[in-house]
Amino acid sequence: MTIMEKGRPDGGPSIWKRTASFVGAENLSLVIALVILLALISSQSEFFFSARNLLNIGQNMAVVGLIAVGMTLVIVSAGLDISVGSMAGAASVVCALVVTSTDSVGLGVLGGVAIGTTLGLVNATIITVLRVNPVVATLATFSAFRGIAFLIAPDGRPVGVLDPELRYLGSGRVLQTAEFPGIPVSFLILVAVAVVAHVVMTTTVFGRSIYSMGGNPAAARLAGINLTAMKFKIYAISGALAGLAGVIVTARTSSGQPASGTQGLELEAITAVFLGGALLAGGKGTIVGTMLAVMLIAVLANGMNLLGIATFYQLVAKGLLLVAAVAIGQWRLARSEREQAKAAAGGV
Amino acid sequence: MTIALDIRSVGKSFPGVRALRDVSVTIAGGEIVAIVGENGAGKSTLLKILSGDYRLDEGSVALDGAALGRATPLECRDAGFRLVRQEPEIVPFVSVLENIFVGEMPRGRLGRVDFARMRREAEDMLARYGFAGFLDLDQEGRTLSPAQMQLVEILRALKPGVRVVAFDEPTSSLTQTETERLFALIRQLKADGLAVIYVSHRLHEIMEISGRVFVLKDGVPTGDLAIGETSEDEIVRLMVGRDLEAHGLNRVAATPGAVVLEVRNISSRWHRDVSFSIRAGEIVGFAGLVGAGRTELAKVIFGEYPRTGGEILIDGKPVTVRSPSDGIRAGMGLAPEDRKTEGLILVRSVMENASMAVFRRLSRWGILRQAEMFDTVEPLVRKLAIKTPSLDTEVGKLSGGNQQKVVLARWLAASPRVLILDEPTRAVDVGAKTEIYRLIDDLAKSGLAIMMISSEMPELLSMSDRIIVMKDGMISEPIEKAAATEERIVNLALGTTA
Repeated sequence: MTIMEKGRPDGGPSIWKRTASFVGAENLSLVIALVILLALISSQSEFFFSARNLLNIGQNMAVVGLIAVGMTLVIVSAGLDISVGSMAGAASVVCALVVTSTDSVGLGVLGGVAIGTTLGLVNATIITVLRVNPVVATLATFSAFRGIAFLIAPDGRPVGVLDPELRYLGSGRVLQTAEFPGIPVSFLILVAVAVVAHVVMTTTVFGRSIYSMGGNPAAARLAGINLTAMKFKIYAISGALAGLAGVIVTARTSSGQPASGTQGLELEAITAVFLGGALLAGGKGTIVGTMLAVMLIAVLANGMNLLGIATFYQLVAKGLLLVAAVAIGQWRLARSEREQAKAAAGGV
Repeated sequence: MTIALDIRSVGKSFPGVRALRDVSVTIAGGEIVAIVGENGAGKSTLLKILSGDYRLDEGSVALDGAALGRATPLECRDAGFRLVRQEPEIVPFVSVLENIFVGEMPRGRLGRVDFARMRREAEDMLARYGFAGFLDLDQEGRTLSPAQMQLVEILRALKPGVRVVAFDEPTSSLTQTETERLFALIRQLKADGLAVIYVSHRLHEIMEISGRVFVLKDGVPTGDLAIGETSEDEIVRLMVGRDLEAHGLNRVAATPGAVVLEVRNISSRWHRDVSFSIRAGEIVGFAGLVGAGRTELAKVIFGEYPRTGGEILIDGKPVTVRSPSDGIRAGMGLAPEDRKTEGLILVRSVMENASMAVFRRLSRWGILRQAEMFDTVEPLVRKLAIKTPSLDTEVGKLSGGNQQKVVLARWLAASPRVLILDEPTRAVDVGAKTEIYRLIDDLAKSGLAIMMISSEMPELLSMSDRIIVMKDGMISEPIEKAAATEERIVNLALGTTA
């Protein structure tokens, strides 16, 4: 085979082929795992498919999912952002403070996203200007930003905010009828963000440059990509989405929470990204994979709750899942490297 | 006197290259044998087989009758073979003393390191070999000068039980006096009955220190001579000279056009006052030893490394080049020496790798236009005959030659005025080499100015219109194709007078 037979990508393949290529072959195992998990849990608990429970899962997904979208950009660029949960906490408090003082939900949302973006830029500055490794940099800000969240909150306590509009963002639903429970607004926000992120990652110069710089920073720089500028944008986006997640937390709980509801989000988001097929070394990973993994993790967590598994076991399970996700990725990588070596020796 | 080291019919291949073929040489105790050859002649491969870094494919290596050719590095060391590397690994934050004994510190009671014994042994060695006072044993590794690092590396080799010591370019970082001291040390080793291998490009040193010289060319031995019965001229002749037709493309140069790239008095960390120019349609080859500063020059011109002085002109206009993206904007492209670490994103597709330098041009409002990407890359894949199952195939899954073509495709897509090629056919099999040569020729014919760095003499001689030889960060006068001979280039690169 010398040259591909495939024509220009403007033809119309079948809907099945398109769906398959959208999900991606490497994500097929995630879909299968999700189906098995759903079957397993629903056979054990009648409540699982109840309207209320599905709403609950959807709302839980929103917070982790928003953060995981940003984390996908970060990890594909061969970085890591451990400070996301702390940024969300700070954003939650800022959002509540702004809404209580201005009575404007719009300004509150903006405030939350703005503080997240700012903190993301702080991360980028530490990583690029001070040349601190991203893991260490965001581990440091993981602590520092959480501290800032408590400092912003008066007396370090949650800030109550009773605003029906804001509540709608967190717990509202659309298309609600007698038979249909409706779709959570927060879940719709996640879907919108994920769709935009998918388009950005797959079709824009910015998105493709993230894949290049993550796959091989030296080669990317020699091909004219400005790595510093890229990192600023990527960590700012991660911060902005963490901020938006913080806003959702405020909306759901009717209070600006410096810690509760945003702790441990980094672990879940990072797990989701790796489970979704991203490589630790960077250069690989998709929004679709991440979203499937977020769903899988949300269902798993919900299932464990329904089956009455104690929190302590759940923490152990979450840790194991992260190890498994990365191990699977490394195993895939080793396999494809073996194939590469074989191909190189054979001279394709 | 027993024979210490017996190398018999050794062969070693890497994908696409036969690095060594039927190499036999014996080295006796009390003898100093020099191994010479051009870059890529197989000297390093041979040393790495002896040190256990590589396993040989054919033949045998025996040290005092014990087979070594498939031993691990540790087994080779224990058998008595020690390699003094050209660029020693020095542990930066520990003392010289620990650096000398790294990996083999003497144990005292309760398994604790016997520092007193270490110090005694190190001081004995320094005194014995005439280097007392040259090294402070308590100094941190990172503060050492290159010459001191070299000495640490030598002392590492001189442990009890050593039978064969191989020096790989030991004097490249030494001054004249230090070199004299090193020679005294080597003579002492000889007097102690050790077998010494001395690898160097510096022929006058070889004439001075060694008793025999063993010459390699393209992995094949071409001479094994007593120093008293040969001359520098003869050694150079044995190192070079081969059938050009089989290795390169005998290019008929077109009449070159106007000057495209002009480099005026460039200085940098590596270079002093480098000036040259390349015309449209011209290929200028850059010869030199590894470490002469050629790759660095390419990167300085392209904007990857900073320059401290001088200017770069393209089509007669000065250009500001502070980063690779500036370089690209100015109309340059650089296909780096190491495809895997600097050239390609192995985990991404052919399409992405080939189009990444022109993402901006292929997009509107920041969104890449798939159809335009396809229309840019697909004809290049055809033109370059890149063998790939599809445009979406990961580049890492292609063969070396096809990977190199993807790098070239990237720069063709960018349609530059100047193309810098750093070792364009490294680790590429013979068939693909010819195709790449044709391609470079076509590019020159289409009016590009091409700067081609190469360590392969036939490639340089057959492809270049002019050849510039680089040595220690400075360049020679360009040699016109008609006047270029292998001897002349090698002499300029080595700094020997022809």
